[in-house]
Amino acid sequence: MTGWHLDDDALRRYVERTDSLAEGASAEQHLLSCAPCRARVTAAAGVIDLAALWDRTRDAVEVPRPSVFERLLRVAGLPAHEARLVAVASAFRGVWLTGVAAVLAFAALAAALGHARGTWLFLAVAPVVPCLVVASSYDPWLDPALEPELVTPYPALRLILLRTIAVLVLALPAVLLLGLVVPGEAPFAWLLPAVGFVAVVLAASTWFSPLRSAIAVSSAWLAVVWLLAARSGSPESVLQARAQAGFLALAAASFGIFLLRRRRLRQLRPWR
Amino acid sequence: MDSRPGDETLLLAVAERDMGAFRTLYERHAGWLAIRLARRCNDRDLVADAIQDTFVAVWQRPQGFRGDGDIAAWLWGIAIRRLVSRLRTRSSVAAVFEHAGTVPAAEDQVLLSVEYGDIGQALARLSPEMRAVIQAVVLDGLSAREAAQLLHVPVSSVKTRLYRAKAHLRAALAEGPS
Repeated sequence: MTGWHLDDDALRRYVERTDSLAEGASAEQHLLSCAPCRARVTAAAGVIDLAALWDRTRDAVEVPRPSVFERLLRVAGLPAHEARLVAVASAFRGVWLTGVAAVLAFAALAAALGHARGTWLFLAVAPVVPCLVVASSYDPWLDPALEPELVTPYPALRLILLRTIAVLVLALPAVLLLGLVVPGEAPFAWLLPAVGFVAVVLAASTWFSPLRSAIAVSSAWLAVVWLLAARSGSPESVLQARAQAGFLALAAASFGIFLLRRRRLRQLRPWR
Repeated sequence: MDSRPGDETLLLAVAERDMGAFRTLYERHAGWLAIRLARRCNDRDLVADAIQDTFVAVWQRPQGFRGDGDIAAWLWGIAIRRLVSRLRTRSSVAAVFEHAGTVPAAEDQVLLSVEYGDIGQALARLSPEMRAVIQAVVLDGLSAREAAQLLHVPVSSVKTRLYRAKAHLRAALAEGPS
């Protein structure tokens, strides 16, 4: 370290860019090895908003590297910020998904092992899993990150639909796959009830919180299944063609209501 | 010297994921880096992006500093290359090596010749394009390829201009003070 430092005039010329190339180069060479002069340059002028940039930089290093799921969404063509918005939903956290998969797998296993109640269990659980996951993907209570997202002028409808689609892409194949294990049923028979319940939850969440809607729908479904089981009906009866048509109509009607009432989605705060 | 931790100490703490040390490092270096980058590129948003990229890179690989030389010089090496790579993806923005003082005032001219002697005047007589190349390659230590990306000119032009600029400087210095 030498005793030489940039004098005030040279420093001023440097930050105002009124110096010559040689003088600038000399100043820059000195700055590389002189912390006090660097501090003086920093204090003398600001070309960018350093505080705001710090916030951005801290955010950039604090968020974990994009998850596999988020990278998949980007590969699928979503812009980076939307991929993040979709992927940050609590429904996509590993623990949640593992729990849901475990419950499903357990029910499917019970059914596959030939327990009479196993089939009922699977029938009760499988169709409501997607709607529970969808609800948790945009319920503000479960997803504290969602509230600021919805306060920002990002279209809530688009966010919720993107997340719903992402959930369905994840959850439906799982339900279908496990449905293959359950004896006696066509694996796609679960599809329409599942889609129907998702649509009902979307529609109901224009009145109530998504999670409450999903719990209500699930409870109603469990009650129906329990009643049928109590009256010793066969599990297959729920999945007959007439019932399937009913689920399709339910899905279409609910989705229509959801689209009609989509502006209510902005009023997310009162659910708290 | 004061008792504040040195940059090396801070960098070690950053390697231990110490956000406080990272912030101190940022506050010490982001300002002058921004001013120096802004002399290479007029687009303030790009400068900010390059600074952010630089510190994100530092956070991710603090061990990239091998302990030779100043941390400031290491940071500058990262920053100018991040600026180059930002410019490469934003071809619409041209980097401008802008020097307000193309013709120094007579008073400054005297000052310059006192302080820097012949080399300052010789540099001042170069065309802006040649000075830009000299600055990028000789002073900033970029490769011809990186300089070409920064200045938006073909690599061959960088090489020719550099060759000519050096010839000019050599001739000017051989002539002696004018």
